[in-house]
Amino acid sequence: MKGMTKLLVLFVIGLSLLGTNLVAQEDANAIMKKSHMTYYYAGDDGVAEVKMTLVSSSGKEREREFTMLRLDNEDGGNQMYYTYFKKPSDVARTSFMVHKTDEGNDKRWIYVPAIDLVRPISADDKNSSFVGSDFSYEDVSGRHWTEDTHTMTGESELDGKAVWVIESVPKEGDDSFAKKISYIDQETYLPLKEEYFNDKDEMTRRFSAVEIEEVDGFITMTTRKMEDLDKGSHTIVAFSSIDYNVGLDEDIFTERYLKNPPRQYTN
Amino acid sequence: MRKALTEFSIKRPWIVIGLAVLVTAFFAAQFPKITIDTDPENMLPADEPVRVFYQNVKADFALYDFIAVGVVAEDGAFTPDLLNRLYRITERIEDIDGVITRDIMAPSTVDDIKQGAGGVLKIEPLMDEEIETQAEADYIFSRIMDNPIMRGKLASADGKAIAIFVPIESKDISHQVATQMRQITDELGGSYTYHIAGLPVAQDSFGAEMFSQMAYSAPAAMAIILLLLFVFFRKFKIIIAPMIVAMMAVIWAMGLLILTGNTVHIMSSMIPIFLIPISVLNSIHIISEFHDHYKRYKHKDATIRHAIGELFLPMLFTSMTTVAGFVSLALTPIPPVQVFGLFVAFGIIVAWFLSLTLNPAIAMLISTKTLRNFGAVDDEHGVLTSIMHGFRSFAKKNYKLVIGGAGVVVVLAAIGLNMIVVNDNPVKWFKKSHPIRQADVAMNNHLAGTYMNYLVFSSDEDDRMKDPAVEHYIQDLQRELEKEEIVGATTALPDIIKKVRYELFEADSSKLALPDNSNEIAQLLFLFEMSGGDPDDLFKFVTPEYSQANMWVQMTDGDNQSVSRVVARANDYVAQNPPPPGVEVEWSGLPYINIFWQQKMVTGMRSSLLSSFAVVFIMMVFLFRSIKWGFISMLPLSITIMAIYAFIGYIGKPYDMPVAVLSALTLGLSIDFAIHFIQRMRMIYNRTQDFNQAYHEIFEGAGRAISRNVLVIAIGFVPMLFSNLVPYITVGSFFLAIMIVSGLVTMLLLPSITMAFSNGLFKPSKKANTEAQAGSSARVS
Repeated sequence: MKGMTKLLVLFVIGLSLLGTNLVAQEDANAIMKKSHMTYYYAGDDGVAEVKMTLVSSSGKEREREFTMLRLDNEDGGNQMYYTYFKKPSDVARTSFMVHKTDEGNDKRWIYVPAIDLVRPISADDKNSSFVGSDFSYEDVSGRHWTEDTHTMTGESELDGKAVWVIESVPKEGDDSFAKKISYIDQETYLPLKEEYFNDKDEMTRRFSAVEIEEVDGFITMTTRKMEDLDKGSHTIVAFSSIDYNVGLDEDIFTERYLKNPPRQYTN
Repeated sequence: MRKALTEFSIKRPWIVIGLAVLVTAFFAAQFPKITIDTDPENMLPADEPVRVFYQNVKADFALYDFIAVGVVAEDGAFTPDLLNRLYRITERIEDIDGVITRDIMAPSTVDDIKQGAGGVLKIEPLMDEEIETQAEADYIFSRIMDNPIMRGKLASADGKAIAIFVPIESKDISHQVATQMRQITDELGGSYTYHIAGLPVAQDSFGAEMFSQMAYSAPAAMAIILLLLFVFFRKFKIIIAPMIVAMMAVIWAMGLLILTGNTVHIMSSMIPIFLIPISVLNSIHIISEFHDHYKRYKHKDATIRHAIGELFLPMLFTSMTTVAGFVSLALTPIPPVQVFGLFVAFGIIVAWFLSLTLNPAIAMLISTKTLRNFGAVDDEHGVLTSIMHGFRSFAKKNYKLVIGGAGVVVVLAAIGLNMIVVNDNPVKWFKKSHPIRQADVAMNNHLAGTYMNYLVFSSDEDDRMKDPAVEHYIQDLQRELEKEEIVGATTALPDIIKKVRYELFEADSSKLALPDNSNEIAQLLFLFEMSGGDPDDLFKFVTPEYSQANMWVQMTDGDNQSVSRVVARANDYVAQNPPPPGVEVEWSGLPYINIFWQQKMVTGMRSSLLSSFAVVFIMMVFLFRSIKWGFISMLPLSITIMAIYAFIGYIGKPYDMPVAVLSALTLGLSIDFAIHFIQRMRMIYNRTQDFNQAYHEIFEGAGRAISRNVLVIAIGFVPMLFSNLVPYITVGSFFLAIMIVSGLVTMLLLPSITMAFSNGLFKPSKKANTEAQAGSSARVS
C-alpha cells in the first residue's frame, strides 16, 4: 500500500513537471510568434532605404545601398519584397524581387540592367548568403516560427532590458544550425540577440540588435548586425527613411517593375 | 700548450673524464627543451619578401595550403557506390581538427550553377545527398565537366579519377591530418585505392619520417663503426673511446643548438649523422698510431705522447679545414643551412678537442694487462698492409700513368659538371615505392595537378579587376600558360564571369565569352552573389574590393625545373605584352617558394664552396709553408668534388638541396687524407732525409690509418642506402664516394706526384732535424 502511494505521488509530480514543460513550450511558441510578427510584419507594407556594410575578417569594408519595399499579402503569411540597388554604382539599377510563401517555395527574380534581362533564379539552399553578406536570405525574410521547437530556458537581462531566453531546435534535420538561442525583449518582443550553434555545439553566427526606434508607431529595429564567427566577418544593416502603410500597389511586385522601378519610392 | 694538454690528460685521466661527463650532462639536460620545425618554408627567413607575399596572398584570398585525396578506378569512378563512399568520407573529413570545413572542395560540397525547370537559374549543391542510380552519377560527372572551376580538379576528363581538396589551417599538421584521412578511407573506402597527395603532406611527412629515420640511422652507423673498429683493433675497451668522443660531440652540439633557442629543422636533424664520421676519423688516427707503435714502446704514456706528437698538427688542420667547409655554409642565405653549418663546425671542434684529451685519458685507464697483445696482430702481414704495399709499388712504377689518368678524370669530370641539372621536388625526397610518391604519380596522371601556384594581378585601384581589358589580359595569360605541358588547368575570374554569363543566357554557348563593359562584369558577379553562390568561392579569385585577382595555376609536376619553366613563360609573356596600366603581375605559391629558395641556395652554395676552397688553400699553404705543397694537397679534394659531382651530372641525378649541402662535407672530408699523407711524409723525410725511405714508410702507419678510415666511414653509412628517404640515400652514398675517391686519389696520385717531382719537393734541410717533431718540421722550399 505504501509503495502504491509513493508511486502515485511520483506520478503526480511527473505529470505536473510535464505540464509545466508544456506550458513553457506554449509560452515560448507564443513569444516567438509574436516576435516574428513584430519583426517581419510591422504594418501592412513598408518602404525603407537600406545601407549594408560588409566587413571582412581583415576589417575591409564594402557597402551596398538599396531601397527595399515590402507588402504583406496577409498578416503572418505571404509577403512580397522588392529590392532596388543604388550602390555600388556599377550594379546600380539591378533589382530583385521575392514572392515569399508559407509553403517555403519562394519565387525570386533578378533584373540585370547591363544586358536588360530578367531571370527567375532559385537558390535551393535557404541558408545561402543574401547579396554576399553575412545575413542569409532566411534572416532577411524571416524563418517561420513553426519550423522549430521552442523551449523557454529562462529569463535574463540584456543591456538593462528584461529578456526571455528561448532555445529553438529545427524540427527537421536542418543544416543551417543545430540550435538557436534567442534573447527576446519582454517589452518590445524584438530579438535583441540570437546565437546560432552547429552540431558540435559551437557558436557559428551571432545576431544582435544595434538600434531600436519607434517609427510611425511601430517599434522598429533600425540597425542590426550579423557576425560570422567562423569566418570572422560581420555585416551591419542600417534602415533609414522608413515608412509604414504607404499603400503599395501589388502591381509593383511584377516582372514589369523590375525593369522600370517605381520611381516614387526608389528615388 | 699541446704538451700541457696531453700531459694533463695522461696524468689526471679521471679529472678529464669527469669534466667531459659533466659538460655532456649539462648539454644533455637541454634536450627536453627541443622544438622541432619541419616546415621547409623556413628555409627562407620569415621576413623574406616571397614568403610575406605568399602569406598576404593566402590572407587576401582566404586560401589555405591543402591536401588532395584522390581515388582512381580504371572502370570509371563515377558510380553511385564510389560517389556515396566519397560522400561519407567527406563528411568524416569535415570533422578532423584543423580542416577548414567550409572550404573543402568535393562533389558533395561544391555548388553548381545550372538551368532549372521553367527557365530558372539555379545554384545548388552538386551532390547534396547520397545517390542511387548510375544516371545520377553520370549527371554529376557531366556537371563537373561543364564547370571550369571544377573541371580537372574534382574529376579527370576520362571519368576515372575523383579528387577532394581539403584545406588545412597550417602546413605543420598535414602529416597528422593525412594520417586521419588514411584511417577514414581505410574504414569507409571499400576496395578502391585512395591517394593522399600535395606538397604540404610530402613536406610535413618528410619531416616526421626523417626524425624516425635519424633515430635508426645514427645508432646503426654507430654499431657498424664499432664492429669495424673491433675487427681492426680487437680490443673493445680501446675502441669504445672513439664512440664516446663521437657521442659527446653530438650531445654538445645538439645541446648547444637547443640551448641557444634554435629549432631542430630538417637540416639540423642531420647534424649527428655528419658529426659521427668526422669525429671518429680523428680517433681512428690516434688509435691506429697507438696500435702500430705500442709494441715498440711497450708503455702507454710513451706511446700516447708519440701518437699525439705525430698527429697533433695533421689533426688540427684536418679539423680546421672541415670546420672551414661547414662554417662557409653560413654564407648561404638560408637560415637552417647556416645553423646546420655552424653547429656541425662546433661539433667538429668539440670532437677534435675531446679526441686529444679524452682518448688519452681513457687509454690511461686501460690496464696494461688488457693491452698485452695490443698491436701484436702483425700489421706487417695484414690485408690492409698488403693493399697499401700494392698501391706503393703501383704508384712507384706507373706514376706517369697515374698522373695522366688523373688528367683524364679531370677532363671527363669537367664535361660531367656541365651536365648537372639543378632541380628539386620535395615529393621526390621519397622513394618511388613510397605511398606519397605513388599518390603523386596516380593523381597527377589523371587530374589537373596537385601542385598549386598562384599568379596575382594587383592594382592600387578598387574595382580595377572589373575592367574588361584586365579580364582579357588574365584570360590571354591563362591560354598562354596552358601551353605548358605540366599546367593541367588554370582557373581565374574570367572563368566565373563566363560561366555565369553562359548560364544566365540559358546555356547559350555563344555567350561563353567575356563581356565588353565593366558594368556587365560587375553585375554578372553580383548576380553570382545574389543567386546564392557562396561569395567565398568568388573571393578566392578576386579580393572583395576587386583590386587584386588571383589565377590558380595547377600543375601536374612539382619539379623546380618544370615550375621554373612555367614561371619563365609567364614572365616572358608579361615582358612582351605589358599588362593594362596600373596592374602588376606576381607569382606566389609553395612550388614558387621552392624554386625561389633553390635559386638562393645554388648561388649561396657556390659562393660558400668557393670561399671555403680558398680558405682551405690558404690554410694548406700556411701548414706546409709552401705554395707547391698547398697546391698538391688541394688535388685529392678537387678531384673528389669534381668526380662526384660529375658523376651526378652523368647519371642525371638532380642537384637538389641535400646534394648542394653535401659539397661542404665533401670539401671538409676529402682534404683530410691529403693532410695526413703530406704532413707525415714530410715528417718522415725530415727525420730520415731520404725520399725513398719516406715514400716507403708513408704506406705503413699513415697508409693503414687512412685505409681504416676509408673502410669505417664507407661501410658505416651503408645502412642509410636502404632508407625510404632519398636524401638519406644520397648522404650515405656521398660518405661512401668521398671515402673511396679521396682515399684512392690520396694513395695513388699523391705518391705518384712525389715520385715525379721528388727532387723539387724534397730538399735536404740545411740542419738535419732528426727528431720527429711536428711543429719544427715544415720549413721547405
